[in-house]
Amino acid sequence: MRTLITLVAALLVAGTAGLSAHEDFRVIGTISKRQGSVINVKQRDGTAAVVRLDKQTAVSRDKKKVDTSELKVGLTVVIDAYGDSEEDLLALEIRIVPPIGAESAR
Amino acid sequence: MHPVTADPRAQPVPSGRALAKATAGALVVAAMILVVAVLPAEDGIDPIGAGKVLGLSAMTQAGAVVEGPPIATDAGLVPTAMAHKAGAYYPAEYKFDSREITLQPYDYLEYKYHLQMGAQMLFSWKASAPVMHEFHGEPDDGPEGYFESYDKATRQAGDGTLTAPFTGIHGWYWENTGGEPVTIRLTTAGFYNGALEISSTKKRRSHELRALETLERDRN
Repeated sequence: MRTLITLVAALLVAGTAGLSAHEDFRVIGTISKRQGSVINVKQRDGTAAVVRLDKQTAVSRDKKKVDTSELKVGLTVVIDAYGDSEEDLLALEIRIVPPIGAESAR
Repeated sequence: MHPVTADPRAQPVPSGRALAKATAGALVVAAMILVVAVLPAEDGIDPIGAGKVLGLSAMTQAGAVVEGPPIATDAGLVPTAMAHKAGAYYPAEYKFDSREITLQPYDYLEYKYHLQMGAQMLFSWKASAPVMHEFHGEPDDGPEGYFESYDKATRQAGDGTLTAPFTGIHGWYWENTGGEPVTIRLTTAGFYNGALEISSTKKRRSHELRALETLERDRN
């Protein structure tokens, strides 16, 4: 019994080390929803990414730093994030950009 | 008053020493699992070589391709210096590659070739608009994520040569920083044995390289 508990505890500890090995993601799309520090982004292929913000998340527009409150529904964003999947990402940097195709519309 | 008797089925409470021993044992086993399995599989760090033996390191290998022909990374195209160091011979003919790549708005892509140390490549690329670019190389035997940068700048074209400083994959990171698609036309020739495209979604795809005889076919 003690051996089993020891082994389970060991696997739990070792397993948490794997949680730190996330992948980098780039999310490009339109903010479809914002709830506190979580934003949903509708990507070009129609899929949705869920991205969390934290105190380290850098937000910019026209290469100038802006507050996270600037992130509003409808804005086009380019997000560099990391996580295990597109449903669970933590944003490292968010750039607010003109809507895709806006340059040719001018 | 009824006497209190001990429940014969109750487990004895472990002493502090026993708990400390069990905790230490758990930590030792955890450390072993971390070094033998987790680090090789998740991070490509294999300090004692166990990951390679168990086949776990393959999960993080840069050469793992999702689709396309396999990339030969053996030492087939190593240059041998001539009597005069100005030139070198290779055991096989050079290959060439020509393709058009489209970068969607704000997207990026990497395109690289596998070369042996000392092998050479000629390249020319031209984009329909300026792109952020980094020409760099990743050694086959380097740590996960390690690369050496040869040139990093915003450019619209590049014409040049590379002599591979180490065996590995060498090529470009291009990023479209604008809101319109950008097309890049890339043409190369070299003593390389594989071309790899890595998209921003991490999808890896190898590409067929053209042999010189196909030029004859084009001519006829």
